[in-house]
Formats: sequence, C-alpha cells, structure tokens
Amino acid sequence: MTPATIRSSAAARLCLAICGAWLALPLVSVAAEPAPSFTRDIKGILSNRCARCHGPDPTSREGGGEGGLRLDTFEGATADLGGHAAIVPGNPDASELIRRITSADPDLVMPPPEAGDRLSPRQVELLEQWIAAGGRYEPHWSYVPPVRPTVPVVKNAAWPKNEIDRFVLARLEAEGLSPQLEADRATLIRRLALDLTGLPPSPEQVDAFLADQAPDAVERLVDRLLVHDGYGEHMARQWLDLARYADSAGYADDPPRTIWGWRDWVVRAFDANMPFDEFTVRQLAGDLLPEASLDDRVATGFHRNTLTNSEGGTIDEEFRTVAVVDRVNTTMSTWMGTTIACCQCHDHKYDPLSQREFFGIYAILNNTADEDRKDETPVVRIPWEPVDSRRAKIEAEIADIEGHIAPAAKDVIEPPEFRPVRELVTALRKKLESEPPVTVPVLEELAGDKRRVTKLQHRGNWQDLGPEVAEGVPAIFPQPHASESGRIDRLALARWLVDPRNPLTARVVVNRLWERLFGIGIVSTSEEYGSQGELPSHPELLDWLATELVARKWDLKSVQRLIVTSAAYRQTSKAPPELVARDPENRLIGCGPRVRLSAEVIRDQALAAGGLLSRKKGGPSVHPPQPDVGLKAAFGSGIDWKTSEGEDRYRRALYTTWRRSNPYPSMATFDAPSREVCTIRRPRTNTPLQALVTLNDPVYVEAAQALARRMVREGGASAEDRAARGFRLVLSRRPGPAELERLVRLHADSLVGFLADPADAKKMATDPLGPLPADLSVDEPDLAAWTVVANVILNLDETFMCP
Amino acid sequence: MNTANLLHEARARLLSRRWFFNDCGLGLAGIAASSLLGSEARAVSAASGPLAPKAPHFAAKAKRVVYLFQAGAPSHLELFDPKPELAKRDGTLPPAELLAGYRAAFINPKSALLGPKYKFQKYGASGIELSELLPHTGGIADDICFIRAMRTDAVNHAPAQILMNTGSQQFGRPSFGAWTLYGLGSESSDLPGYVVLTSAKGTSGGASNYGPGFLPTVYGGIPLRSGGDPVLYLSNPKGIDRESQRASLDALNRLNDLSLRAVGDPEIAARIQAYEMAYRLQSSAPELLDLASEPKEVLARYGIADPSQAGFARNCLLARRLLERGVRFVQLFHEAWDQHGNLTKAVKQNCVDTDQASAALVTDLKERGLLDDTIVIWGGEFGRTPMVQGGNDGRDHHNRAFTMWLAGGGLKQGHVHGRTDDFGFNGVEDAVHVHDLHATLLHLLGFDHQKLTFRSQGRDYRLTDVHGNLVKGILA
Repeated sequence: MTPATIRSSAAARLCLAICGAWLALPLVSVAAEPAPSFTRDIKGILSNRCARCHGPDPTSREGGGEGGLRLDTFEGATADLGGHAAIVPGNPDASELIRRITSADPDLVMPPPEAGDRLSPRQVELLEQWIAAGGRYEPHWSYVPPVRPTVPVVKNAAWPKNEIDRFVLARLEAEGLSPQLEADRATLIRRLALDLTGLPPSPEQVDAFLADQAPDAVERLVDRLLVHDGYGEHMARQWLDLARYADSAGYADDPPRTIWGWRDWVVRAFDANMPFDEFTVRQLAGDLLPEASLDDRVATGFHRNTLTNSEGGTIDEEFRTVAVVDRVNTTMSTWMGTTIACCQCHDHKYDPLSQREFFGIYAILNNTADEDRKDETPVVRIPWEPVDSRRAKIEAEIADIEGHIAPAAKDVIEPPEFRPVRELVTALRKKLESEPPVTVPVLEELAGDKRRVTKLQHRGNWQDLGPEVAEGVPAIFPQPHASESGRIDRLALARWLVDPRNPLTARVVVNRLWERLFGIGIVSTSEEYGSQGELPSHPELLDWLATELVARKWDLKSVQRLIVTSAAYRQTSKAPPELVARDPENRLIGCGPRVRLSAEVIRDQALAAGGLLSRKKGGPSVHPPQPDVGLKAAFGSGIDWKTSEGEDRYRRALYTTWRRSNPYPSMATFDAPSREVCTIRRPRTNTPLQALVTLNDPVYVEAAQALARRMVREGGASAEDRAARGFRLVLSRRPGPAELERLVRLHADSLVGFLADPADAKKMATDPLGPLPADLSVDEPDLAAWTVVANVILNLDETFMCP
Repeated sequence: MNTANLLHEARARLLSRRWFFNDCGLGLAGIAASSLLGSEARAVSAASGPLAPKAPHFAAKAKRVVYLFQAGAPSHLELFDPKPELAKRDGTLPPAELLAGYRAAFINPKSALLGPKYKFQKYGASGIELSELLPHTGGIADDICFIRAMRTDAVNHAPAQILMNTGSQQFGRPSFGAWTLYGLGSESSDLPGYVVLTSAKGTSGGASNYGPGFLPTVYGGIPLRSGGDPVLYLSNPKGIDRESQRASLDALNRLNDLSLRAVGDPEIAARIQAYEMAYRLQSSAPELLDLASEPKEVLARYGIADPSQAGFARNCLLARRLLERGVRFVQLFHEAWDQHGNLTKAVKQNCVDTDQASAALVTDLKERGLLDDTIVIWGGEFGRTPMVQGGNDGRDHHNRAFTMWLAGGGLKQGHVHGRTDDFGFNGVEDAVHVHDLHATLLHLLGFDHQKLTFRSQGRDYRLTDVHGNLVKGILA
C-alpha cells in the first residue's frame, strides 16, 4: 500500500467496485458466497485481533524476523521468515498464519490466550478463503480520494427526486424493500424548520405551506429556510462543539474568557454561506492571508479556544504544549475524521500514522505567539457599539475637562482648587479601565529568531525531547504545497485540508451534514474514518456527495438543499414494525429520520412556542436563569451568576454563557458537552433527569406559562380550540381526537383543583413569568390549568423529536 | 466493529426491540396508560435498559464502591507515614541524591526539610502507626489496608485529580465510577446508580472527575446538592403538588402512548419509563435525605450535631443510606487539604472534620453486613513534600509518594502495603501507581481491567489505558 497506488485511479476504481459490494450489514441475507473481500471481511480481523502486535507501530511489534512481523501490509505478511511466511498467497496450508490461528498449543496459538478468545471458525474460514484467493490487500478506503461514481439505475424510476435517491433506492431494491411515503406537510415543515434553523415554524407559516399547492412548494420552503435569520446560529452550534468554544479558560480556576467575537464570526460565516474551503483557511490561517483583515484575524480564534491553565505553580510552557497538541488533534478530527491523538506518544497501532508525523503537524502549529498566558495575549480589539460608545463618552469627558485645565506640568505647583478636578479625571480613567474594549484572542505567527524549533517528545513528554522534526503532514496522504512563505505553514496546512486531492475532508464534511439530518452518518463513526472506524453504509453515495461538494465549490447550503429536497429525506418516519425490526438504526434509509433534538433546540423551541424567545443576534454571552449551586470552582471565582435582565434572559441557547467547569445544567442534562475538548458527535440519551428539567425547571415552567397565555389569547373561546392552538404552536400539527380529548380533560381536572386553591393557582399561572396581563379574558385558576396543559405539551416525546 | 461494547449495545437494542415487539407488543400501551406502571413492567424495562444489572467478567469480591476523595492532597507526613528520620533532620537540607530530576510545583527543591508536625502512635491489634490526629481511623486500623507508596504522574491539582479519577490527565475520559456503572449497571430503580456528594470547596477538576467521558451520559455521576433541591429540578413547579404532577404524568403517558402506537419508535417507551423513574425519584430523593429516622446514636457516631447541616460527616451518613438503597457508586469530594501554609492548624481541623465520620462509615457498613462486598477508598490526588514551603508551616505538592487507604470486600485488613524512604519522598518498596490501583479496584469488582473496554474514536479505551498491574499484595 504505497502512496503511488493510492493515487492511482485504477486502484480507486477497484476499491469502489468492492465498496459497491459492501452490502455487509447483518440484516442482509447472503445467497451465494463470493470470495471474501479484504475491506469487508479480512481487514477488521487483522486490525482488531493482530495489529496491536503486528501493526504499523514498530515499538510494539513482535514475532517474525528483525523489526517484527507486520500483518498490515502485503510485503510484511508475505516476508520470508526463514523458509516460511505468515501468508503464502494461494496456499493457506503453507501459511504460518493459518497454522498459528488454528494451533491447539497454547504457546503457539495466535492471538495468544491472554489477548482474548480464539478466532471464530468463521473468521478462520474467511482468512483461509482469502489467502487461497491470493491474499490481496487493498488500501484503506478512506485514504483513496473519492472518485465520482456512476449514479445507479433503479426499477422504480418515479420515486427519485435527485441523484441521492437513486443511490438510496438502489440499495433498498437490492434488499427487496421499498421506501415509505412522503411525510405529511405539517411534519415536513416542522422537520425542515428544526433541521435548518433550529426553530419551530409558526402556525401561520404552517398554514401557508399547507395551502401552497405548487409542485415546488417544498423547494421554495427550503429556500426560505436557508436564508432564514436563524440558520447561521443553528449551524454554528455544532461548529462550536468541534472548536471546543466556551466562555471560560478551563482547568481549576476556569476564569471567564472573552472570545464571543469569534463565535459571532462563525454565525455570520454560516449565514453568508461562506464556502467551506474559505471558512477553513480563514480560521486556521486568516492572519497569514495577504492583507489579512480584522475579520480574517478574528476567524483564527478557532484554535484559541484551547484551555489556558492559570492555576498557581503551573509552568506556562507545559500547558502551551498541551494546547498545541490539542490543536493537532482537533484539526485532524474536525477536518479529516482522523484520530491522531495516540501518535503524540507512539506510532499509530492501526493506521499508517507515526509519532514523527504527529510532530510534523505539531511543528506547523507550534509557532504562534500565544503561550498559556493568563491575559490570553495576543488579542485583537473588535468594535462593539455598547462598550465603544460608553468608552467614547468617558474619553470625551476626560478630554473636555483636560481642555479646561492645563495638563499637569512637572515643575508647576497647581492651585489647590484643581485637585478635585484631577481626582475626577483619575476616577474617569479608572472607569475607562474597568470597561475595556472587546477583544478576541487570535493566532499570530512568530517571526525570525522568536520561532520555536519543534522536537519529537518521547512518550509525549514535553521535557523529554528527541530529534528535531520539520513541518509536514503524514506521508500516506498527498503532500501539501508550500505557501507564499515558502514553507509548509498553517496557510499551507489549511489549503491542503481543502485540496480536492485530500481524500478525507469532503467526505467528512458531507457525512456531518448527513448525520445532522438523519441522526446517523453514512459513516456512523463520524469521529473515525481510519481502520478502526465503521465502513460507510452507502460508500458510493458518500463519494458522490463528496465530489458534488467540491464541484459545487464547497457550497454548504446548496448541498444541504440537495439532501433535504430528496425523496429519501422527505419520507415519513413512521415505519412498519418489520422494517424497524430488520433495520433498527435505519441504516438503509427505508424511512424518514426521527431524531432527538439537541439541548439547544429543545430549549429554544419551548421559548419560541411561548413567544418569549429573543431574536437578538450576537454579542456577549448571557445568563439565563440557573439554580444557584452555592459552590465555587475550587480555586476560581464563583459559578453562580446573576440572571440577565430584559430580553437577554430569553436569548437563543447558543448565547448562554458556557462555563467549562459548570456547563449550563439543563443543557448538560440533554447531552451538551463541557467543551474542554473537541466533540464530534454528541450522544443522545433519554433519562429521568431530562424529565425533571422539562417538567420542573423554572425556565420551562415560564415557557409553559407563556404558551398557556398564547393558547388563551390566540386559540379562541372553546377549550378544544385553546388546546389545539397549544399543540400547533409546538408540534405544527393539529391534535387527533383522542389527544385533544385528553388535553381538554386535563385542563378541566386541573381547574377543579386550582379553583379550590387560588394561592396555588396564582403560583402556577404567574411565577416566574409575572402577573396576568389585563387584556387576558381568563382568571388565574383557568390560566394555571392551561399552564399544566402547556407543560404536558412541552414534555411530549414528539416535542423532543425532529419528526 | 466486533468489540465488546458494540456487541453489548447491539444486544441491548435487540433486547429492547424484542421485548417491544414480542413480549410487550401493544400490551405496553395499556401498561403505560395506567396510572402506575406495575413492578412487573418496571422489571422488564430495567432488564433491557443500559443501566440493567450486569454480571462482571468473574466472581467479584465487591459490588459497590464508596470513594471518600480528599481533594487538595492530604499530607501523608502528618497523617499516615511516620518518619522519625525526617523529624531528626528538621531544618536541614535534603540529601542531594534525593532531588535528582525532581520537579516541584512551587518551591525551590533545595528548601529545608520539615519534620512532621504531629506525633504517631500504634493502633489496634495490628499495631499500625498513625497520627495522633486520627484516633477514629486508628480505631478501625485493624479493618483497613494502607497503601503507603502510592505515586502519580501529575503535580497540579486539576490534572492529578482527573488522573486519579479517570486514569488520564486529559479531559474527556470516563471516571472510575462511570466505568463501574457501565460494567455492573444499577441495582436501584428509584435512585441514580452513581451519586456524588461534595463538601468544603468542591473539586479542581470539576465535573470531569465524575463525568461519563465518552461513555453514554447515563453512566455519569449525579451530584446530590447540599442546598435547595438535592437533584436539579426535583421539586414540582410552584403551585403543583404530587397529586397534580401525577395527573400531568397520566395525561402525558396517554399521549405518548398514542404516539408509540402511531410511530412505533421504542424510544417512546423508554421515555415513558424515564418519566416514571423521575416521578419516583421525586419522592425517593427527599426520603433519602431526611435523616429524621436515623437514631441519635448513629448521628453521634458520625459526629453530626445538626442533621440539616451540610458537610463531610453528613455526606458520609448519606453515603451509607445510598449504598443501602442499592446505589452502585458513591463518591464524596472534600477539597480542603492544600496546605501550602498554615499546615499545623489546618491539617488538624481537617482531621476533626473527616476522621470520625470516615471511620464511622466503615464501622456502620460493617455492622450492617455491607462492608464485605463494598470497597471504601480514602485518599487525595497526590502527597506533600517533606521540604518546607513558605516559612516553617507548609508543604508543596508531591507526586512521588503518598498514602491512601482501602477497606472492604476482598482486601487485606490491618495491613500496610509498601514503604517509602526515610523522608516519605520516594516509594522504596511495593510502589503502587494510580493505574495499578485502578486495575486492582476493577479486579475486586470482578473485571479484568484489560477487557472492560469501550470503543470511542475507533479505539477500545479502558480505565487503565495501556497501563496497570494488579497489586496482589493488598488482596485478601
């Protein structure tokens, strides 16, 4: 497996041909048995059961001759071991590998007994058949650049709306399955709005869409949503997970950090549909661009989201190196889906990535001016009107006063009546200091003799240095071009990541888009595309989308539009039990997605349904209500906060202050990470603690109170109409008769209780939202009962799901 | 692809599917709609959920853990490791060979030696020498096993605490408690399987010390808060009593059940179960925290003067109540031990705060027959230097040697394992690294530490990463 063969398109086509035959999920019944495929059948066995001692890492390699036995390459596996070889192509009986895996002698058998169970008879059989057929190795699929596949022919030509559907349908037809019907319109608009903006549609938007009889109604809805004001905020959320964005610096002190200017840059970039290649280059190397603008420099805040340790007694250089290591790992994970973290200490055990190569990337990132300083320098000042205008006012005041009194001269004794004026100026200057201009930490390249020499760190120990390592990327990949500086610097690295020759980035990006929408990626291990990752469910579709993204000049909105207008995406998520039983994870896309919403969307949706959600964009992070913990971070400032006032109480969750040592509790309960490290994929759990949040958290109670008021105000006079209004505000659809009956009954039953206890009614109707407005036609017990109903609607399973 | 946890996940999924489609079918709809799920239905769901009780790799010596984490790092030299030679050399410079390659957090390594501030005496039939500050721990000396030559890699609080609790200095790994819950599941259907209690200053490493890392979030520790709601948002909204909350849940269950019938997604059934568990938790957690039923003698034994007063002693008693109720892993964090200065006074006060209650917990568990299959762990993230810091009353962080103690199932009793040099500076006999401790604790819980793995980012991770040797010397 040499780079030459990887670049060869013949090899790539061969791989694709094999990929096409990957239909290997256990749900498939295999009729005739073809010869084992290396990628599908053999690689996993070698990687999981042999590679630890017979893989790419020479230090842990055992057996064989000098340098140990390698089973991850054809050359290694067939090497002469003194008259015999692990693998003799075409001859399993002569192959030492087969002798060892079938040996009854505990001293000879492989894998050795302490490494776990013996290989299964089926695994042995596969290895025998594979060796008999020639023991051919194939390059790992994700290291071969994607080649545009032919779009398959399908039987049901009426179903596909675009190419995506033909890939999906071809697979379904091969399985003897048919797709589901399109979801109803109300479901579709809620799905699309939540997926593209993270906000529920209003009942009026739903009505307009239901009334739109034009054949391209869905396409036009998608176009509206893609330019919706909430799109960029919703897209940014995941990017902030990848970038480990937070409003604190981490470690024991976890002091506040001002870097929201970078977060706003990300939102603006998504809103403006900045092509992903440009988005990449600016964030990794905006400062190195010719004539870099302030905006370009702000973009480099991406890698200033690493932790800073200001605990007493820590050595800055130690934690600077920790930050650079994190930047290497985050870069490779975010763009290339490649876990390289292990190579900080040793060569990769499964993939052809060495420790030296890790430090090649490290060297590229090792020459920025930041060095774990408490003040986060270097930073750039960004305009922020509220602060700037307050500062300007103070500055003007100072100038004004100083204009009236001569500046203090050295040798002149001022008259005593000047003293209060001088004191006033001092006070004003202090005030100015207490309101510093807004800044963003940025990357800044060191020049000349300040540049650091990178040395390999033995076992990842920053004090135990080995030989010098030059800037570079792993040899398994096509190599980067030097930038204008003549070096492989950050700019060269960034351009290399989005170079169409890079086999991974486009696949990783489209897979992430897919995963957002379908809940599971075409590659389900979206954090790992190497040997230890899962094979794609639809390899040709993945490559078609990857090449399409590049052909469309990294236009994310346009590729998203393609996916969400496909028939595959538009299917109903109501699946027949046989299909669910056969394909529980919906890997075949035999029905539409049904995915639990993110922590942020669950909160925003509740506030939006109640009409509370502020649509103010950008600016400093805010403090929505959270319970007092009464604790301090061990050595840092308190973690309780004063709730923001006015609309800042109701901003989108994206703007909630993210303290790493104490992430906003209700969002953490819904699987939001601490953002200490890059998070590629959040888990989606379903726990009792979540139920307590949405039933009892005052934030959700307040949303229920607001929703109840809307139900009464907008719903009409009858209980049925009010309940239906609440249902539509949250779920976009009308309730069925049984649903409606149960909600109305809950209202009636609750009302009886509240009429008997007006004090409870008052609390449930008004605390914390505030007194009833005068124009509302109902009293507190009635409204309290509607609040109970609203609370139930906000807790429905369907409410938490993108339908 | 064919790793243990994927299989495990797949099996859990299959089980829940099979249960849903075959055993339960639409029968679930009726159960869910009824106002209370019968215990039968509960048992079925517990058996198929991610927290269902699971058997370990082999017969275990212990099945639950209480970890009394002494954050800030207690001084082994004042508490556990008698050093007459250090006392003799008080005020002199340490021998040069001691300091070769040594890195201190704050002090100049060439600072003078500081003799122990307190005397040691022999306790119990085993005659183990402990500080005069620890009369109560001395009283249970014959029940516990001291590891005197612990060592760790980190010298700053946050990384060292994370290492002690997750096996790595990097953030993002699952805690020991989370691994335990992942491996063994929970035996409580009314309380979380892993509960965290804090006193004094909390923890330097924050939530990562008890977090799930890359494991599913259900395995993470749930902090019980000392003020307000013990679990976040446990109280009903204002104006809603338990009966009204029940009425809401009945309506909610009914509507969710209609969805379940229409959509067929088993996650809906799981959500119905989660809401029922939340409802039970709303009464079980206050019951847990209500110490009114504890006899006066019990409160006195723990040194609890006022049962409503938060603190380490109360947390020790709560730990016993949690363990009794089937909670798998209880972890206390008491961050108070960072004596860079004011050592004499502060270390004494810390012992007043912790010694009696720690010993009471062990005795209480023993009397209730729980100690035999519980592991009690007591210790911090590192030790402290034999050299003085700042004047004559402080010690710096020290990672090369410190003491921890263990008690309970499968452990030697009245035993001291390992030895440090004359200064308590280096381990000279039977040194135990954090990874070795983890390997041994997992062993006591019935796990081969090399086989309890979870796949993340394409790799099988384990608590001990690529390290860890069983410490046979502490096993009974």
